[in-house]
Amino acid sequence: MATDVSRLVDAENGRISRRIFIEQEIYEQELERIFARCWLFLCHECQIPRPGDFFTTYMGEDPVLVVRDGNGQVGAFLNVCRHRGNRLCRAEAGNAASFTCAYHGWTYRNDGRLVGVPFIKEAYHNALERERWGLIPVAQVESYKGLVFATFDAEAPPLREYLGEMAWYLDAFFDRREGGIEVVGGLHKWIMPCNWKLPAENFAGDGYHVTWSHVSAIRAGFGGDFRVGADPTGVALSPGNGHCVMTVGANMNADPPAPEIQAYEEKIFPEIVQRLGPRAGTLKPVAGTVFPNFSMLKPTSRTFRVWHPRGPEKTEVWAWVYVDKAAPPEVKEANRLAGVRVFGPAGVFEQDDMDNWQACTQTGRGVVARRHPLNYEMGLGHDRWNDDLKAVASDYRFSESNHRQFYQRWAQLMAAEKWSELKS
Amino acid sequence: MADDLLRDVEQFFYREARLLDERRFHEWLELFTDDVRYWMAGRRTRYPQSSKAITVLAGTRRDDGDIEDELPLLDETKTTLIGRVARIDTGMAWGEDPPSRTRHIITNIEVEPGATASELTVYSNFLVYRTRAETEQDLYVGARQDVLRSVDGAWKIAGRKLILDQNVLLPKNVSVFF
Repeated sequence: MATDVSRLVDAENGRISRRIFIEQEIYEQELERIFARCWLFLCHECQIPRPGDFFTTYMGEDPVLVVRDGNGQVGAFLNVCRHRGNRLCRAEAGNAASFTCAYHGWTYRNDGRLVGVPFIKEAYHNALERERWGLIPVAQVESYKGLVFATFDAEAPPLREYLGEMAWYLDAFFDRREGGIEVVGGLHKWIMPCNWKLPAENFAGDGYHVTWSHVSAIRAGFGGDFRVGADPTGVALSPGNGHCVMTVGANMNADPPAPEIQAYEEKIFPEIVQRLGPRAGTLKPVAGTVFPNFSMLKPTSRTFRVWHPRGPEKTEVWAWVYVDKAAPPEVKEANRLAGVRVFGPAGVFEQDDMDNWQACTQTGRGVVARRHPLNYEMGLGHDRWNDDLKAVASDYRFSESNHRQFYQRWAQLMAAEKWSELKS
Repeated sequence: MADDLLRDVEQFFYREARLLDERRFHEWLELFTDDVRYWMAGRRTRYPQSSKAITVLAGTRRDDGDIEDELPLLDETKTTLIGRVARIDTGMAWGEDPPSRTRHIITNIEVEPGATASELTVYSNFLVYRTRAETEQDLYVGARQDVLRSVDGAWKIAGRKLILDQNVLLPKNVSVFF
């Protein structure tokens, strides 16, 4: 029996129950209705460029093997042997034509087919139907501008439709120049003792916290010209389907302070407007979340990340650093250093976030604390659809408009039995 | 290496560890040369060369030890280390307020000649226990490779490479120094 979440999310009045951040039953329902249903980010195509390249990740709590097969096709499968359910591939990344399970030696080709079963003749009397026992594929896998996504739900709309108008805003992060982006080195993986929705909503719309949570890093010089309180033009935007973006005005400095990056950004700005259209000349997207758990950031450092859920009180973060593929080497290096020094587990901005999200989660263990809803009222009644931006827009740079849109979508998905019940 | 040199290096490391555990960060910064590179990375999980779990289709395998080109956790200069301490001094570095309580255990010290006559290459292991607030606790365990340079008769750290052995880092952040 599913929990009725309609009374837990009151987006109209900006009130959200703390139960959705702490209760195991609600978490289990999220795994079914959010994570086994939505399009989830897997990896960037540049991580698996050659036939046989693989990358192991998770969709919700399900382990997933992403692989480029011999024909160059990207596939994604449950990283689980069909025989006893052992984890098939134990490495994070590599290159393989086939994978052999460590338990009994069942072997799968990188297109998912079961090709080897020890003693199939003697022990199975050749009766095992190998073609029926290949790896379980995801329902759909698609890329958008190099970003590989998959869904376990065959009824989910195609990726482009799921992204909707968010696609343009993704372009503003990942397709600003010819060739798009590439990731730098590997990635940061770490555990945050918090509910996954706290970081997701933070990147979706919390410009407000920057001026207080991160003021130490700004005062110590790590934010450079990332001015606090100086931008009158930024807005929070919700282009639909729970996706969210934060922006600053087009004449605002929205980049890491390294001189190489500043000079580069100034030089390429006209090219970006030319490529992305006039909207790019009116605002600069700086952070956002593709519903439910793929977030991105541009000023201070260039990172995108997945918030893997690990129970109501735990999140496993996988964070990448990215650069424009067409950027010169010195700009890529400056972005790499900004990415390491400012974000990630040791980043001078990010290390304070985990601490706040941990306590925001754990105080919800108190049954009395849990009775009192959280306040998401900021900017209530001051957000409306904007035809030029093709999004619900706040009228001030600090607003919880995006938070309300995010949780409204969350509540719709949690209430719906299937995709056909949802309006996009 | 002579015993007295090993003792000298040990005492230098123990004193450094005490400065960190007593949160005397400004004195700690004075132990570094101006040209120091301070670098830390976590470990990767890859199939070893000999593994029969996969058959390789293209290219060469990479070992889990190949971490030089991975995304590090820290890649700092003297200037950014000073900035990290200045950040804590603002009184608004919330991840360190209340502060971490640490105990730096430095062991397995090996001293080798360095690239120049005034330098040593020193290998060591570290175990840093961090506890904070009421019940928070973390272990940061790994290996350290230092370049120690003799400057005006005292040792300075001219290079520090830290390998943290976890793959998915279990502590929520790396807000302490090593």
